[in-house]
Parts: sequence; structure tokens; C-alpha cells
Amino acid sequence: MKKPEIIEKVGAIVARRGRSVDAVIPILQDIQAAFNYLPEEALQHVAQITEITPSRITGISTFYSQFRYYPAGKHMIRVCTGTACHVKGSALVYDAFRREMKLAENSYTDTLGIFTLEKVSCLGCCTLAPVVKIDEVTYGHVQPENVGEILRDFLTKKKNSGGQQRTGKVLPGVVQGEIRIGLGSCCVASGSSDVKNELERTLAETKINVEVKQVGCVGICNQVPILEIVKPGESLAFYAHIQAEEVREVILSHFKPSGRMNRIKTRFIGMFEEMLVDGFPKSFQKYLTEQRDTPLTQFLGQQINIATENRGEVKPCDIEGYRKAGGLEALKKCLFQMTPQQVVDEIAHSGLRGRGGAGFPTGRKWQMVKNQVTPEKHIICNGDEGDPGAFMDRMLLESYPFRIIEGMLIAGYATGANHGLFYIRAEYPLAVKRIREALAIGEREGMIGKNILGSGFSFEIRIFEGAGAFVCGEETALIASVEGKRGIPSLRPPYPAVKGLHGNPTVINNTETFSLVSWIIRNGAEAFASIGTPGSKGTKVFALAGKVRRGGLIEVPMGFTIRKIVEEIGGGIAGDKHFKAVQIGGPSGGCLPASLADLPVDYEALTEAGAMMGSGGLIVLDEQDCMVDIAHYFLSFTQNQSCGKCIFCRVGTRRMLDLLEKIRNGNGVPEDLESLEQLALSIRKGSMCGLGKTAPNPILSTLRYFRDEYEAHIQGHCPAGKCIPIIEYNITDECIGCTKCAQRCPSEAIPFKPYEVHVINQEKCIKCDICRQVCPVNAVTIH
Amino acid sequence: MQLTIDHIRVEVKEGVSLMEAAKLIGIAIPSMCYLAGHTSHPSCMVCMVKDLDRDRFIPSCAFPAEEGMNILTHSPEIREFRKEALELLLSDHVGDCEAPCQRSCPAFMDIPRMNRLIAAGQPEKALQVVRKEIALPLILGYICPAPCENACHRSSIDGPVSICLLKRITAQNDSRRNPDLLPSITRSGKKVAIVGSGPAGLSAAFYLLRLGHECIVFDQHPLPGGLLRYKIPDDKLPKEVLDEEIDGIRQMGAVFKMNNHIDKESFRSELLHHFNAVILATGSEEKQIIEDFGLETGEFGIKVSRTNFETPTPGIFACGNMIRKRQMAVRSVAQGKAAALSADHFLKTGKPLGIKHPFNSSFGRLQQEEFEEYLKESVREKRVEPGGGFMGGFTMEEAIREASRCLHCDCRKPSTCKLRHYAGEYGAKQKRFSSPDRKKITKSIQHDFVIYEPEKCIRCGLCVEITQKQGEVIGLTYIGRGFDVRIGVPFSQSIKDALEKTAEVCVEACPTGALAGKKERKFNAL
Repeated sequence: MKKPEIIEKVGAIVARRGRSVDAVIPILQDIQAAFNYLPEEALQHVAQITEITPSRITGISTFYSQFRYYPAGKHMIRVCTGTACHVKGSALVYDAFRREMKLAENSYTDTLGIFTLEKVSCLGCCTLAPVVKIDEVTYGHVQPENVGEILRDFLTKKKNSGGQQRTGKVLPGVVQGEIRIGLGSCCVASGSSDVKNELERTLAETKINVEVKQVGCVGICNQVPILEIVKPGESLAFYAHIQAEEVREVILSHFKPSGRMNRIKTRFIGMFEEMLVDGFPKSFQKYLTEQRDTPLTQFLGQQINIATENRGEVKPCDIEGYRKAGGLEALKKCLFQMTPQQVVDEIAHSGLRGRGGAGFPTGRKWQMVKNQVTPEKHIICNGDEGDPGAFMDRMLLESYPFRIIEGMLIAGYATGANHGLFYIRAEYPLAVKRIREALAIGEREGMIGKNILGSGFSFEIRIFEGAGAFVCGEETALIASVEGKRGIPSLRPPYPAVKGLHGNPTVINNTETFSLVSWIIRNGAEAFASIGTPGSKGTKVFALAGKVRRGGLIEVPMGFTIRKIVEEIGGGIAGDKHFKAVQIGGPSGGCLPASLADLPVDYEALTEAGAMMGSGGLIVLDEQDCMVDIAHYFLSFTQNQSCGKCIFCRVGTRRMLDLLEKIRNGNGVPEDLESLEQLALSIRKGSMCGLGKTAPNPILSTLRYFRDEYEAHIQGHCPAGKCIPIIEYNITDECIGCTKCAQRCPSEAIPFKPYEVHVINQEKCIKCDICRQVCPVNAVTIH
Repeated sequence: MQLTIDHIRVEVKEGVSLMEAAKLIGIAIPSMCYLAGHTSHPSCMVCMVKDLDRDRFIPSCAFPAEEGMNILTHSPEIREFRKEALELLLSDHVGDCEAPCQRSCPAFMDIPRMNRLIAAGQPEKALQVVRKEIALPLILGYICPAPCENACHRSSIDGPVSICLLKRITAQNDSRRNPDLLPSITRSGKKVAIVGSGPAGLSAAFYLLRLGHECIVFDQHPLPGGLLRYKIPDDKLPKEVLDEEIDGIRQMGAVFKMNNHIDKESFRSELLHHFNAVILATGSEEKQIIEDFGLETGEFGIKVSRTNFETPTPGIFACGNMIRKRQMAVRSVAQGKAAALSADHFLKTGKPLGIKHPFNSSFGRLQQEEFEEYLKESVREKRVEPGGGFMGGFTMEEAIREASRCLHCDCRKPSTCKLRHYAGEYGAKQKRFSSPDRKKITKSIQHDFVIYEPEKCIRCGLCVEITQKQGEVIGLTYIGRGFDVRIGVPFSQSIKDALEKTAEVCVEACPTGALAGKKERKFNAL
């Protein structure tokens, strides 16, 4: 890149973003978007033409993991290493990509510069685990043995889709019904946009006149892509796991093409296509609403939808649809019938507590901010959902943007704030897009901006995109980041409610908290408080994933037991395995054994048991999951995400990880368990923010409930067969000599001997698990 | 507002930190990352105190005093907690306080400083450094087994610095003209008897004379030197060498009473009556002899304190092989000095003086890539073999070449480093949280006055704040995050660009040896 070009581009970016210190993150994001990395010349030029110092630029750009100092390949491969993906083998998938791409040590881009490989903490598609995303294409259920295919598939699709236009116009005429299709990230990842394209094409070709409604997350992530057909006189029909090639058949079974010629043509094409796809397995399943005990009714039946009200019915950015479903009523009620104090009291009486994890009473927080007498106050929606294995915020932001905005507006009215900010993590592009769209509509409709709905109350809202730092979910770190600083939490007091963004009183609530507000105002505090337990009111949204039959996004009343979530909503454990534990609360939470499954979902009950409500990730584990490995997994995550300020967190978590690795490698001694426990307790006491204080939870809870597994590792074996350094693959006499394993083994550890029992050379084996996966007779065992 | 600190009520203004509040009533709380006048953003957690009402630990440097608080600043639990914080800091602190050669020298001689002075062509000054700990450098320059050379970081790479021969050459330069050998100006009027004229006795005499005391050395042999004369053959230690160094001590004022066997009787009648203190250095750990003097035996030899070298009888000290047989001569020499200092203290105050070795950070073997970093301050030269062989020793030119190979492993802030200070005070163990992979040492030396060693940094960020506040154009910054966060220079600039005007302030503020002045520290000969 030539220097004048850099100067010109940087100049334009700065002109757009401003020269002040707090523009640093957006400027760097734009520079990376423009150059694919951060060229030093560009950064130096920023320092020259803005108030931002070289020290700040370096400090910021090396703190947030979004930023790169080296150009990446043409396509980014993101291997999700979220919890659900981890328990389903994402580490092996990552290694398989490294082998396939022939990456040298410490290198992440192949020699031709086509692909760059990276790990992401969670793509929020937990029900499709393990998930890999290449640019915008998501591949679910990826296994190490098919990474080669995936790369080839991606490149072919890329080549073929160039310039192709797909139109989806529907001719005017009688509307025969409505087809709903979910377009949340999971749905899209599972192929729903292909289904949608196919649907539009079919409708255009057949001239069938039905309304296609794109709805937000349908929550039933385990059944996606899902097509919902609403036809007058017919009961609601769901098509789960539908594939693009099956769309035509489904549509034609419900609707008639218009015009005789069309009907014939359709039949002809249909016949032709059927011939072509003959023998193609019908993967979809059809469920009707009146059917009892279908997976759908079990999944949805017991949930209470407050944050997810009107789930799957309203198009995310459809303000009319939102209004029809009761949207903005709460805001109007506040603005025209209630005083700010009444609003705060209503929220306080509802018993609503922060859904971000710690459960601080929302009413109390609002009251603190309301009590401050300052001209400027802020409302921040914390959408920096970073827990691996949690995607509630993403789903809410993508699906119910207006509900969250309404919650923020009410908070602003109640506390006397006029500035709102969405803090959304960088990994959620669709959420950012939807909120941006919703804000534009809201401004147009007079619900955001000056003199809202003629009430005299003004409130503006902007978006800040996070740059990749889990710790920024902590409120003081989040504020630091918005102010253009490194995301380092600061000591509280002062609390943000007193001294927050730019030194002003600030309400920071989690996305889910805001999404509950309008319901409370509309239905009254009593209605909300009547749901749940004495200490925990209302509902909680969970991202249910892992080894359950049916994962997805669920909203259950507080007090609901873990067992009911796993067994009834989740349909129990997949395969013939057993329910061993749940990991609840992500890296701040803990692992609870199946024996505690009757524990209710309740802030205090979970904390007492050594877990935490957290933001709502709920990963179900079976006996193939090693608890030492799980503890190690979470600790690696937090250790990697520590901001590096407090010594106990910065070095302490690393030393805990050292100890865990020693144990996992079979080199542990019994005393290590005491050292681990002691250090964990000190880190909890000696860290200043929530990240450090809760980082030891996964260790402490597994030590508490699964100490025997640690002891087994110290004696040199991993009961679940997970910990690579101490396991061994073998082939039993069941082997039929089909040579599949020998052909696929990437390290040539299995000699090719047709019709003989195969043998694994332990010296060469890299424990990639491929042989076990390809074996048709389950002859490969792990010891 | 009012609060309670260590059960004392204290009245403070709003906004005052707990640390400041404690200071008002004379309670000092340790801290490293805190510096008055700067933003306190606690990171080292050494200043943690306990909030008794809420049963939690809080960093006193930044936590504001609140009405009615009940704070405890010192207790076994708090002490253990601070110790753990220090141990975590130490587990990530890669560097030597004292160089490994000095640490492994029984006399704890400041070898790197000696090397640097020789390399700079100042052997006389080097000799002062040697004589601070070693009374017999010439003799030891022939016979010392040199544990220092085994420990030298270069030994695993291209051969250790030839420390023993370098030490010898400092003393070969007409030692009698050296001012060190003159008796101290102020005479104490006190008289010390030394029994035995071997390495321990000679060493004790040397330091006692320096301190102004009168010394009478008793020995049953015709000539002084003990095993140096009677056990070590001539081809290892030429007699002229021995005589020369003993003559030096005689010139300082030592009186040698030879052929003078001290037995039970003469010990009581002569020594105990006519001397203010006695130092026993007979070289024999035999039970009978010790009991004859009315003293006790311990596990190996005479029963004596290993810190102040006093026997259970006040005023009687013991050192050398009496304590344990077949010690290295250099250890006897070191003990002779320690016994002398202790006796001196006894003569002045009635109490012996214990020596306590300070805390020492260490990191094990130097890696090849680290060696390259160290070479920035040294030379890539093979170990110099003396042209005249070992007995001939170095010529001055050879010595300068060899001394230049020293890597300057010693820290430049050994006495001002807070980490070292508190590690010692709290008895922290660096190895408690040992890690399989330690960070690799790097050195930035581009600045004229400052050297930066990031692996010694505790990430307090004081320097980052100083460079920002004082308007450095480049300044320092945090780089990275979490465990890997380090302090560095933005873009591809060097430390020279970063510290154009704040070098001195930053060095002063840095709580460890990470940022340090390049200039040699002042030397105190005594």
C-alpha cells in the first residue's frame, strides 16, 4: 500500500469518526476494515492528526483481540470454541484445520494467503456444535474428518455464487396464507437463508401468493431451519430441519400455483427435479400444532415468554407488527400516566434483578441514578455477551430490537437520563445491523430523539461496537472501553450509578434486563413478581446446549428445576448416554452434578451450590465429558481474557492453569489439589472485578463435586477418555479390516492391511479421533 | 468521618484512602504499585487490608475510607495473603537480584562489580570490592574451587568468566600500597584474641584490624597460615604468595604469637582475662579441645550460632573448620569476616551481630536467546586462557579481555527494589508457584542512561502514567492483555525515543529493577 493512499483513507476515517480520544476504537475498527489489518503507517498518521497518542493507540490495539498487526488471508475461518462446541470436539476440529492448511507452528495463514484460521470464543450457534464459520458461511456439526471437504465446498460455492441474482417477488393477488421463517443467527447458520431463497424462488416461479414473514429467532434452535406455515382453515404446520431442496415439495403440498400453465409447468419441473433428487433422504420432519408430545410442544410448552414475548411471530424490525403486539404501550403509559418515581417503584416492586449474572436489584440501581443531581446521565445496554456457550443477548438483540429500545427509553425516563448506548460485541454483526435499523425506524417514528411521542421527554441512542474483550462485559471496563481506554475494570466505589460514563451517573443493565421492562410496566409489578421464587422473580432466558436432545433458547420461570430443563424441555441426554452434570453460568459459573438437578433456577440457590446464574449459558454434560477438561477449558478462557491488572488474576489464573495442565498431563501429585484449591480461594479474594472473583468457580465446583476425577488423573487415567496426554487409541478384534481408518489417518499411524485387524502405532498417533469416527463397527476404543 | 483501623479510632476527611488514613496514626502498609501523587490503580495487591465488617480484602492504596469502617492492617491471615501476592509476582519476575556468581560465593563477594572495574582498567578499585568480603584474595586466587564459576550464566554456554584468576590479579598489584591495608584511623582500644592463623583466623584479624581493634593471633605452629601452609602443597599455593598476604595483615598491625599452644589453662588464665573478645579458629572440630575451653559441641563441631558465630559464652566466637571440617577456604574466610563483624558489634554494644542474607530472585539456566540479549552489554568472546598457565595467571591485558565477558547479570537496583525488599520481609518463596515455561529475558539498552528489562516489571503502569502526564511524545504504553501484558514503546520506536525527558523520574518511580539507571551504583567499602 502506498503512503498517500494510506493517508487519504485514514484522513477520511478520522473525518468520519472524529479526532477525540474516545474515537480510538471506531477509528481502529475502520482502519482494519479498510486495510484488512492495522498498518503501522496508518496508526502513526492517526497519532499525527488526532488527539490520540501513540501510547493509547498501541495500548488499545493490543488489548482488544479484534485487531491484527498482520494481514490476514482472503477468507477467515473461525472455529468456534464455545462451550457447546468444546464438549463436542472443537479442539480436534481446529487441529484438523491446521493439518489441512499445513500451517507451521505459530502461523495462522496458509502459505498462499487464502485462509486465515482463528478461534472464536462463541459464535452463538451452540445447537449446531461444533461450528465453523468461513467468512459469512456457517458450517454446523463439523467433524475433523470433513474439514477438507468444507474448504473445497466453500471455494466452489464462492466461485459459483458470483453475480447470481435471486429474486423473490410475489405477484399481487389473493394471499393464500403466511409462511414464517426464522432468520436468527442460528437459523441462518443452519441454512435458513438458502431455504428462504429457495422459498422465494419457488413462490416466484409458481406464482403462489403467500406472505413470507422473516421472524427473529424462533428459539427452537435444535429444529432449525424451520418453516412455519399458517394457512386459513389449516392447523399451523411446522417443518423442522428443512433443506432448500425440500422447500418446493412442502410449498406445493400446501398451496396451489396460480394459473393453469403454471400448474403444469410446476408439475413438470417438480417431476423433473424429483427425478434428479430421487433417493435423496427426506430429512425434514413435519409437526402439526395439535399433535401432542411432539418435540416442539415439549420444548415450547413449559416456557413463559416475557423477554421472548411473541416469539417467532413478529419480524424483528417491523414497527407496525411490534405495535400490534402491544409494543410501545408501556412507554406511553410511563410517559403520560406515571411519574419517573412511580416507574422506578414499579420496577423495584417487580423484584427484577440484573440478568447479567450478579443479580443486583434493578429498581435499586435505577433509584441510585435517579437520586443523582447532574445534567447528564446515561443508560447503557450491555450486549457484550462474551460467555462461551451463551447467546441470549444476541438472540434478543436480533429478534426484539424494539423491546430493548423501549426498555432503555423507560429507564431513561425513570432516571432522568437522555443518552442511551448499545454496547454490542463485535462478533454479533447481525445484532448490530438490526439495532441500527431499528434505531433509524424508531427515530423516524418519533420514539427516539427529541420530544418523544410529544411527551417532552428526549432520549438519543447510539451504538458502540465492542472490539473483542470478554472483560468489557464488566460494567466499569465497558465504560472504559467506550471512553477510548483499555478495558480495565476500575475499583468500585465509585459505582457507575454515581460516576459512570464520562463521570456521569449511568445505568448499565444487561440486554435481557431491558427486554423485561416493558412487560412489567404493561402487566404490572405484581404479575411479574408472581412468577418465580421469593428471591428471584420473573423468568430467565437460557441458552441450552451440549448433550441434550433438543437445545435452543429457552425462557423459563425462576424456580424451574434444572432437571425439568434438561429432561423435559431438552428431551434428556442425546444418544444412550447419561446425564452427568450441567455447567451453568459459563466461565463464572460452575458444574453441578446430576444429583443436584432438582435445584431451582434461583440466584441464591445456584450461588450456594457453587455455580452462578451468570448470563444464562447452560451446557449439559454426559459421562463422556471429563470434568478436569471442562475446568481446564473454562480456566483457559478466563485466563486468556484477564485484563492483566490485579496480580491474583493476571498471574494467579495462569498458575492455576499450570497446575491443571500438570494434572491433565498425568504429572500431578495429590498435594496439587490443595495448592489448586488454596490458590483458587486467594484469587477469589484478591481480584477486584467479577471476572477475577469468579474465575476460580469452575475449578472449585469441579473439585467439590468431582474430586475423584482429579484423583484419577493424578493416578494417570482420564475416566472420560478426553485428556489427550493420558489417553490411548486402540483397535479391538471387532475390526473388519475395511481400511477406512487407515485411509483417513492423517499421521499414518495405522498401516493399510485389508481384511486384517488394524493396529495403531502409538508413536505416530496424534489422537485426532478420526479413526474412531469413521469406523463402521465401533472397533476403535479409547483407554 | 470516623473509622477504626487496627482497633484505633481515626478521624479523616472524605476521599482519603485507607492507606493514608492508616499513615495518620502511624501504621505503615506495604505497597509497590502505589506512588503518592499518581493515580492509584491497585495491581500488586500487597497493600491489601481486611474489611472486618464485610469480611473481605480491599486494596488500601485506592480504597476510600468510609464512615464506620472497621479495618485490620496486620494479622497472620493478611500477612499470608500479601506473601502469596508477592509469590505470584515473583513467579513472573525473571531476573537475578545478585548475580548467580555472587549468590554462590560463600563470601558473597560482589563479583560482577569487580569484573566491571577490571574491564574498565581499575584493578585497585576492583581490589577494594574484593576486600570488602575477602581478606585473602591473592591466596584464594590460587586455591579457591570457585563455586562462582560453576554458577556463572556463561558456564552453560561458552564457559564461565574466569573469576578466580581475575580476583587474583586484583591483589597482585603491589597490595601493600593499597589504602585498605592501613589500620583504621580510630582506635577502639579493645583487644581481641584470635586462636589459629589459618584462613578463618587471618580473615577475622584483617577485618577486626580494619575496624580499629587490636589483634593478637595465637598459633601452635612456627609460622602463620594454618592449613594454607601445612596442608596445601607448594605447587598449588607458592609460599611467597602466602607470606606476602600474611605480611600485609601483619603490616596492618596484627601480632602473631607463634609456637603458642592454647590449652585449657592458658585459655582461661590468659585469653579470658586479658582480652575483650576471643575468636576461635583453630581448625579443629575435636570434641576434647572444645570441651577444654569450656564450650559445647554441636552436630558437626563447636556449637555456635550460624548467623552471628557467637558460642553460648558471650564474647567468644568461633569460625572456620571448628564449626565443620573440610570447609572450602573461602567459606572459612567468609566466616572469619562474619565473626569479626559480630565481635566488633559485641565490643561496641555487648550484643553479637547476625548476618541475614537478603532475598534473592533467580531464574535458573540462561537460554541461548537470552544470552544474545545479555551480549548487548558484553562481548562475544571465548574464555581467555592465561598465556602463562593457571599458576602464571593473567596479564593485565588478558584480565581486561576476560573481565569484559561478564554479562552484568546483577540487578542495578538491588537495594531500592521494593519487590526484593518485601519478598525478604514477608519471607516469600519464589519457587512456590513455579511454572514449566518462564518468560525469556530481554533487555532494551538503546537509551543513554536507562536500561529496561521488561521481565522484571510488575505492570504497575507508573511509568506509563508519568510519560503521559509529563508530555512525552512517544512515551510508554501497555502492550497486550492479561498474563502477556507488558510495558513497551509504541510502534517500532525504541526506549530512547520513549523517554526523552522522563528517564530519571521513571527510574525513580519504578518499584523494581525493570527500569534502572545504567550508571554504576556507589560503592561503600565497609
